[in-house]
Amino acid sequence: MRPVPDKGKEPVSHSRVPTILERGLLFFLVWLVLMPSVKLADLVVGVIAAVLATWTSLRLLPPEAGYLRFGALLAFVPHFMWQSVLAGVDVARRAFDPRLPLRPGFVVCRVGFPPGPARNEFAVITSLLPGSVPAGDVEGAIIYHALDTRQPVAEQLAEEEKRLTAALIGGDGHD
Amino acid sequence: MRIAADIFTIVAILTGAFFFLAGTVGLLRFPDTLTRLHALTKADNLGLGLVVLGLLPQSSSVFGGLKMILVWLLVLLASATVSQLIARAARRGGPHP
Repeated sequence: MRPVPDKGKEPVSHSRVPTILERGLLFFLVWLVLMPSVKLADLVVGVIAAVLATWTSLRLLPPEAGYLRFGALLAFVPHFMWQSVLAGVDVARRAFDPRLPLRPGFVVCRVGFPPGPARNEFAVITSLLPGSVPAGDVEGAIIYHALDTRQPVAEQLAEEEKRLTAALIGGDGHD
Repeated sequence: MRIAADIFTIVAILTGAFFFLAGTVGLLRFPDTLTRLHALTKADNLGLGLVVLGLLPQSSSVFGGLKMILVWLLVLLASATVSQLIARAARRGGPHP
């Protein structure tokens, strides 16, 4: 029993193989839903598209950068659907109001998420909330543009952060 | 049953169209880039969601319905991403009316 000779040949990329396969399969499934055809030519184009999408995703979001718990996020879908409805109703109400009740301004919201996927995901999710759009970030905080600064924007965002912390922070992979 | 599905479709799509109208009215009436961004993203996301919801009972197959939901989710993702990029650019350049 000699020691495994190709120990040195086991590069970091080895541990990336499951991620690559997982993402590739996911992209191909998305393709199949969007282009439900079993013609060979369509499938070939789908495979090429999935490979390109996987390659792009590895460039933009390397597996080492941390991961998102999509399963945990699914539990929040009803909540954010409802928030999204409230956001639409809020905008519609203001748009049709003859007095145009707006008091736009910036609200700086401190977040515990480290810069990276978790913070970006938080920004994307919170952009669905009523009255706030992420408009930049500074050290340890996201700057939101609020439609009405009289609303408790910062408080609501802090509450969402509490709600999402468990779902967005993976066990490891964050520095 | 068919009638109930059709009524649901009509109500949901009309409500969706109402939110598209609201988004457009906001786009015209709101004072600057950032507030207009709110109008477009929030109202149109909801409008498109309602249109998709209304079309689901009319879909001929489960795959067709799945496709519409997926398209809606892709639009949500794109609009959330693009609205942030525009908001960042607008904040740096200062809000122009």
